[in-house]
Parts: sequence; C-alpha cells; structure tokens
Amino acid sequence: MSFGSPYTTLPDFEYHKPTSLEEVLGLLKQYGDEAKLMGGGVGLIAFMKERLMSPGHVIDVKEVKELKLLENVQGKGLTIGAAVTLSDLLEREVLKKDYTVLHEAIAKVADPMIRRRATLVGNLCEAIPWVDSPPALIALDATVAIAGPDGRRSVPVGGFIRGPVDIDLGPSEIVTGVDIPQTKSSHGAFEKFTGGSEFSLASVAVMISNGGRNRRARVVYGSVNSSPIRSAEVEEAIKDGISPGSIRKAAEVASEKVECVDDVLATAAYRRHLLKVITTKVLRRMMSQ
Amino acid sequence: MREISVTVNGRARKRMIKDNELLLDFLRERLEVRSVKAACWRGECGLCTVMLDGHLVKSCLVLAVEADGREVKTVEGITNDGELAPIQKAFVTHGAAQCGFCTPAWVLATHELLKANPNPSDADLVEATSGLVCRCGTYNQIREAVAEVSAASKPRREPRESLARA
Repeated sequence: MSFGSPYTTLPDFEYHKPTSLEEVLGLLKQYGDEAKLMGGGVGLIAFMKERLMSPGHVIDVKEVKELKLLENVQGKGLTIGAAVTLSDLLEREVLKKDYTVLHEAIAKVADPMIRRRATLVGNLCEAIPWVDSPPALIALDATVAIAGPDGRRSVPVGGFIRGPVDIDLGPSEIVTGVDIPQTKSSHGAFEKFTGGSEFSLASVAVMISNGGRNRRARVVYGSVNSSPIRSAEVEEAIKDGISPGSIRKAAEVASEKVECVDDVLATAAYRRHLLKVITTKVLRRMMSQ
Repeated sequence: MREISVTVNGRARKRMIKDNELLLDFLRERLEVRSVKAACWRGECGLCTVMLDGHLVKSCLVLAVEADGREVKTVEGITNDGELAPIQKAFVTHGAAQCGFCTPAWVLATHELLKANPNPSDADLVEATSGLVCRCGTYNQIREAVAEVSAASKPRREPRESLARA
C-alpha cells in the first residue's frame, strides 16, 4: 500500500457527516479549534496532504439541507448555500444573465472535474489572495451569512476577508452561504491574467449600474495584494461612461493608485503593468457590449 | 475503521477503511482497480479520474468515506460484455495511446463527453478534458479518435429515392 508517505496521505482525523445545521453547530461547539469544515474538500484535502492543516475532526457539510440552497428571488437576489458547487452555479441560466461578473470569474476556475466538487463558499473561506471569486462577489456587493452559537450575523465579503488565510469567522461558527443583492439594469465583466499559473497574477471585476442619475461603478482588483482592493479612483475615471478616453485614464490610475505587492507569483512592478492591461481589456469589452 | 459499501462498476463492494483514506487508495489498493492511476496526488493531472454518481471527479481529492452508498464507475465499466466501447476502438485505430499511463482517464472522460454531447466541437473537447494531461502528447490522436466516434453518431442521410433513380 502507498499509505505512509507525506503528500500522498492524509493525517488521522475523525469524519463527521451531519445532516442539519443544528448538528453542525453542536459538533463545532464540541470540537471547536480541532475541527475543520469541509465543503467540496478540494482545498482542505490538498492542505492536509501538505500538513498545513491537521484537524482532529473533519465535518463534511455536503448533506446539510439548508446549505444546499440555491435560489434566485425576484426583487431580493441570489442566495448561494455553502454546499453549492461551482458546477451547480454554472448550470444556472440566471448566473450568466444577471450575475455575469461572477459567472465569468468562476467559469475558468481550474477544470470541470474540480468545479464539480469545489464550492463558492469554500473558495471564499480559504482566503487565498490569488483566487477569482472574492473580487467578483465584492463588485456585486455580496454579503456572507454566518451562523454560530449566538445566532446569525452577516458581513460584507470585503470585511469578511481580513488577509491571507484570515477570515472573520469564530471556531464555533459556520458560513451558511452568500447573499447577492439583485442586480438592476446593470452589467458586469471579469478579466484575469494567469500567465499559465494555477492562480491569477492580477484580476479585475467591474459592475456598472445604469440607473440614470444614480449611475455608479464598482471596480475591484484581486490577486495583486493580500486581499481584494476596491478602487475609488478607477470608479471615478469611468463614472461618466466608458469611452476610449476614460479607458485610457482608468488604466493609468489603476496602475498608479492600486497598491501591488511582491510575492512568490510576481513582482509589484509586473503587477502594475498587468493592471493597465486587464483594466483596458475588461473596459473595452464592456464598451462594445 | 469503519465499513463502507460502494457500488463499483455495478458490483457492490464492502471494505473496512480508515476515515482519512482517499477514494483513490480505496479503489487502487483495497479493490485493486489499477486503471485508476496515482500520479500527482494534488488534482492537477487528472489520471485518477472516476465517475462518482454520474459525474467525473478526481479521486485523489475525494475521501473514500464520501463514496459510501454511492456509485463509482471506472474505465472497466464502459465496456459492454467484454466488447470495447466505440471510443476505445477509436483509440486503438488512431494510436491515441503512447505509454498508456493516462489512457484510462482519457478514455473515460471522452466516453462521457460523447455520451453527453455526441458531436462535440474542438472547444468542447478542450474544455471537457482541461483537467487531464498526457505527457506523451497524444492530444491530436485523441482528437481524431473523438472525431471518428462523433462522425459515426451523425445520422447518415440516405439518397432520396427520386434522386437515386435519376
């Protein structure tokens, strides 16, 4: 047997498969810090193989009915439960039509076999700086729904991600899902550059609402810093519309104002160049739509 | 240890397993289904791909215990009474295997693609198999094999009688 060598095996743990949220909260209360929640398991299993995580208890939430919820309510928006996979989402017509920015962000994540297992909430909770769904969710003004021993609370996605692998979630709490307010007469788009890496070196999510005088833009950059960055300067540059001139201006201020870092994937200087490229690409595409 | 029961290629299999065991190890080591290959162990090469309840997944990223009470299909499950499936015959015809290590995963994935979409475009094929690698580089031959099965599934138009007589 191949059991025994690191990177191919998992540390010892006890597996739990609750079917209700009460049961999950009970297990979290009992095991707290020693437990890890598992959605699709893609990230958790990889982390455990690398021994970056060695939980004594793994709580699989795939069969919790409440967490499988995926519904679009007219006038309210889209609710995505924690056990909903990226494939489940991509199969919904409404995502492509009304939440284009999120559709574009997750349609190119990994490959179809991984998307069949990976969940949106798992992707968010890993809080890896180079993943694509957080900037799109922030552009959509999404909130994270959390349940814990003291009841329920909800926080904006931007505040939920505190830094690399650091989220606003207590040891006995669980993210039950993500809520996205209904998009009204707005359109969005997502662009990224990976350079062949499994992660993005820079990404941008744009939402523009065309509500007459209430026209507003939300522009969020991902993968260039420890957590996603919303840029008021770029939003200002395109507030009067997308034209060749405003695109040039937006690309310039993105490159100058959005703070980039050096890390294992790229240098800050390269990222500043990429910001110009992806800002131009995403806005040109939106202009021609 | 706990006992799980998994239907593998139509046959119920029961084994004792540890909670931290991967589906990949369960299939290869406990059941000796050796067509499921262990290579990268991190979900990148796709050679451990199997069907779990009707969907392709990478078995190095699935716990064995998660498959309890569910159905797994491997490449052995696509033959019909020992007769090769059309895509398997096409792989042979077009020499779509070099060293053969990745072949079971590619055969299974292209077989399932053709079942869901009998006439896939090149883009459909690339997207559906984007999670698989072949380090011998048989991609062109695989594309030819898929194209042959796809063409064979298109309804042939019989010449109309009037034209045939003319």
